[in-house]
Amino acid sequence: MIYHLILKDLRLGKRYWALLPIAAVAIPFFIVSKAAAATSVAFALSSLFIVYLFFNSVSMAEEKHRGAAYLCATPYTRKTLVLGKYALILLLIGSSYILYTLAALIAPERLPVLGIQELGFSLLLLAAVFGLFLPIQYRLGYEKSRLVFFFFIFLMPFLLPYAVGELDGSSLSNSMAGLAPVMQGVLAVAAAVILLLGSMAVSVRIYARQNL
Amino acid sequence: MRIVISNTSDQPIYQQIKDQIKQAILQGELDEGTALPSIRALANDLHVSVLTTRRVYDELESEGFIVTRAGKGSFVAQGNRELLLESKRRMVEVKLAEAWDTARMLGITRQELFAMMELLFEEEEG
Amino acid sequence: MRSILEVEGLTKRLGDFALDGVSFALPDNCITGFIGVNGAGKTSTIKLLLGLMRADAGDIRFLGEDICKREREFKNQIGVVWDDGYFYPELTLLEMKDVVAAAYSEWDESQFRKLLERFGLQGKQRIGTLSKGMRMKYAIALAMSHRARLLVMDEPTSGLDPQVRKELLDLLLAYVAEGNSVFVSTHITSDLDKIADYLVLIDQGKVVWEEEKDRLLDTHRIIKGGAEELTPEVRSMFLTLDESSYGFTGLTAQREKVCRHLRNAQVERPSVEDIMLGYIGRSRI
Repeated sequence: MIYHLILKDLRLGKRYWALLPIAAVAIPFFIVSKAAAATSVAFALSSLFIVYLFFNSVSMAEEKHRGAAYLCATPYTRKTLVLGKYALILLLIGSSYILYTLAALIAPERLPVLGIQELGFSLLLLAAVFGLFLPIQYRLGYEKSRLVFFFFIFLMPFLLPYAVGELDGSSLSNSMAGLAPVMQGVLAVAAAVILLLGSMAVSVRIYARQNL
Repeated sequence: MRIVISNTSDQPIYQQIKDQIKQAILQGELDEGTALPSIRALANDLHVSVLTTRRVYDELESEGFIVTRAGKGSFVAQGNRELLLESKRRMVEVKLAEAWDTARMLGITRQELFAMMELLFEEEEG
Repeated sequence: MRSILEVEGLTKRLGDFALDGVSFALPDNCITGFIGVNGAGKTSTIKLLLGLMRADAGDIRFLGEDICKREREFKNQIGVVWDDGYFYPELTLLEMKDVVAAAYSEWDESQFRKLLERFGLQGKQRIGTLSKGMRMKYAIALAMSHRARLLVMDEPTSGLDPQVRKELLDLLLAYVAEGNSVFVSTHITSDLDKIADYLVLIDQGKVVWEEEKDRLLDTHRIIKGGAEELTPEVRSMFLTLDESSYGFTGLTAQREKVCRHLRNAQVERPSVEDIMLGYIGRSRI
């Protein structure tokens, strides 16, 4: 069943299919060419961009035509529908990673292949963003949550340095720094998974109560 | 079989249908053992509710005019001569009573009514 | 007469509007018309039935069993047709079918294909290119392809031309002839005159009555007479009254009483719409 839900969403986002592989490769190259030091974030940022773009267009189609209302009248449970969306996000991240890695293998001198540590932190960042964003979108609906998202983007330049500053001297980062990069990566992935599972539980609860 | 539901009659719809089916049976239009349409088919054709045709068939069955076999449908019952004859008489009695009621309401006396009936017979014979 | 669906005390507050203790029972193997003006609560009731909203209070039983206990089994046996369609216009008919069919345990693909062919629909068309009538037929094809026992329809005929409406009504009659039931909400009551077996009237969030269609037609009459015959006593016997300088037309449930007071009154059977109007005005008083 989830397979069909993902298929449906992929079909809804048909327009972006061609664009995404291009973006998945072009953006990292672009970032790396402009700022050699930013290689570690190249993947994270480009995935963020791609996944958000695609997911956004699917959400827009959902909101406009309320196809979810029809599906809720079928035996699909609310939980399954939510799971479908999270599975879509994971699929998009996964595809984005594959494309990035292919690009990196073709041009290793330009793009580094991601190690576990970098992958872990990228995943954590993506999980944090979407883990926060999805429940908000379920709660407020597509239109209003976009406002929240833009507002947040607006605040980012102010919040980010503050957050980094706090994190820098904290006990968490100190204990993390002591670990081997591989361990750091694994922990980051675990944290990402837990974040997403928690986010999913919240989304399910929100969506289960909603009047359609 | 002719079943026409009158828009202006006082009789309930199910009554009209029932009477007309009864009439068809009594006048021999529907032979013993003839299969009747399903309640759904009858309802669709007459544009009435299936709950109505079900009531018609239920009552016709309890009055002995038809029998329903589960899974097979409804059929005109094997003739019970006395029963049918008595029903025929009863039908005429009902019609006569109606005529008398109407006459009374309109202020027509018994003599006038008899006269009217005589006239009717004469017309037929003539 | 057993009921395929029983609703008891359904209550839901929606801003200014509320469904208040909505109760009714749908007889099995029948076409039940759910009537009322726009805004009376028909769509909200149907949304509650189908789990698009959660009721504040009330029970819903399908074939005797509480649907909350086995919601997925319940939904498996229900076919849904919405006024809006709620389909994604970018998807083709087959693509939409793929996601819908996956939800049902008894999807019948050959039945679906047969219906598409019968309706003259192409699977590879995009839903956005369909006319309203074709969209409704598509919705019916989806609803009738998973062995549903009960078809729930919300305003299926609004905006359809008479030809398509007739096709739809014939389809519904064939559907119940196979042993299924239909629950159709509509404010276009002329369709129900022809095919409804049972009616439920809802007004301002409350069920006014539920009754066999023919019994309603038997117990009510449209009576026309002269204006001078409308004494206050006679007036009180009517549910609706339309007066002009030439005379009056009114709906009554007390035919005999009225006929005793009027001479030369013209008496006719009402339509479903006439009866509906008779009970909506009243509940506003």
